[in-house]
Amino acid sequence: MTLEEVRDRMKAARVEIAENRLEVVRRLLTDALKPIHAMDSRAHRTLEPAVTFETVSSRGDRGQ
Amino acid sequence: MASEELFYATIRDIGARFRRRALSPVELTRAHLERIEKLDPKLHAFVTVTADRALADAKAAETALGRGDISSPLLGIPIGYKDIYATRGILTTGGSALLKDWIPDEESTCGVRLQRAGTVMLGKLITHEFAFGIQFPGHRFPAAKNPWDLERMPGGSSSGSGAALAAGMAFGALGSDTGGSIRGPASLCGIAGLKPTYGRCSRAGVLTLSWTLDHTGPMARTVEDCAYLLQALAGYDAADPASSREPVPDYVAPLGRGVRGLRVGVPREYFFEGVDPEVEKGFEQALATLRQLGASVEDVKIQNIQSAGAFMAIMLSEAFAYHERDLREHPELFGELLRERLLAGALITGSEYVQAQRIRTLLQADMNAALRRVDVLATPTSPKPAATFAQVYDPDYGFPRGNTGPFNMTGLPSLAVPCGFTAAGLPISLQITGRPFDETTVLRVGHTYEQATDWHKRHPVL
Repeated sequence: MTLEEVRDRMKAARVEIAENRLEVVRRLLTDALKPIHAMDSRAHRTLEPAVTFETVSSRGDRGQ
Repeated sequence: MASEELFYATIRDIGARFRRRALSPVELTRAHLERIEKLDPKLHAFVTVTADRALADAKAAETALGRGDISSPLLGIPIGYKDIYATRGILTTGGSALLKDWIPDEESTCGVRLQRAGTVMLGKLITHEFAFGIQFPGHRFPAAKNPWDLERMPGGSSSGSGAALAAGMAFGALGSDTGGSIRGPASLCGIAGLKPTYGRCSRAGVLTLSWTLDHTGPMARTVEDCAYLLQALAGYDAADPASSREPVPDYVAPLGRGVRGLRVGVPREYFFEGVDPEVEKGFEQALATLRQLGASVEDVKIQNIQSAGAFMAIMLSEAFAYHERDLREHPELFGELLRERLLAGALITGSEYVQAQRIRTLLQADMNAALRRVDVLATPTSPKPAATFAQVYDPDYGFPRGNTGPFNMTGLPSLAVPCGFTAAGLPISLQITGRPFDETTVLRVGHTYEQATDWHKRHPVL
């Protein structure tokens, strides 16, 4: 990810980050997104994310 | 002041002293309050000391003991709460200027359960700001210091919990762990800390960092003490949508069964990248000890482990979603570092977040496959010993890569237990991870290793 891309994303998200901190944010995002961008999402047939439904009623048994 | 030995006794030992009337909960609590008064000005582990409440809890425990009530092993045991656990009528700050005056009218489920077990609440322990941002100098709440070296961080975000336990200022603490916030401070402070299975312990009444990664759990000086605390904390809670109805087994009784015949898997990929040589040496020696104790140790492969960094995309996105409104309305109330990290979460697209969750599903399947071959996985907990404040305050200091986050991704139970010291006297830690809801085996391996070594018996000089 380039600094220019970080700036583009900031504009789209309507947030401001100090110019002298952009490099640190760029590194953080690069590390976080590296495995995501490396993955060919078509190669995996996961069924997640999914919502789990539970039929048991939610009684007020907090602290039991 | 009571003897140093008293402050480093185990929960089992304290319970025995109570029962034979060699010590009273009020006496023990008073001694702890004095110790906190003496030591905490230089450690900054506590945000709020609840002396009156502690003495009232201790008197109630004393009354219960007087009528022969010894049903709870935690009766009269002094405990601290990480300051992201809501405490009814008691200041709960989250280590943030935003909540500097917040007095909740509700109690966290974990707090309710510890109180029901008869514990004594000593106070609230400092957390990194909203469990994510280290407090820089000048912050509303000063950062806790590592009792082994006051120039170093105790780790985080359960920083006060780690520091208080290492300094003998409490017998147990509530921590929370989104990417390693129980196991990291446990590792760097030379204590034990357990991140239970996702859904095992309730998150109700605990400030959120990342909904799908947040775990609550116990920290203590020994594995057995963690087991006692987990016994009180574990179990279904309707107030937490992620809470599991999985039955709660006895965590304490099986601790003494040893490790003979158990299979320990070592994933060599990912977890050893950038590991400090002294940490690696301590870890290898721990493996040798486990072999001597009768466990078999083998290398295992976890497919897709190199994708575990996607953990950060999930955490950043969810943390921004949780804090967005306050960030936009009151940015000045967030510490500089936390604000920057949270805003980074705004820069991750919806598609990237979804793909990160899909990577998580793959990783879960891969770890479960590895755990069909072995009973537990072993890795170093933290790749490096505690960093100095000077290092962390460097503006270019990035977010350190950790060995704990992959197990938040997969929700597996994971324990940090001391396994040595560096030449400079800094703690090193072994991380043991097991199958879903198999805290029993994880604790058993940790306890057996711990009892064969004396790392947990060493304490900082304060």
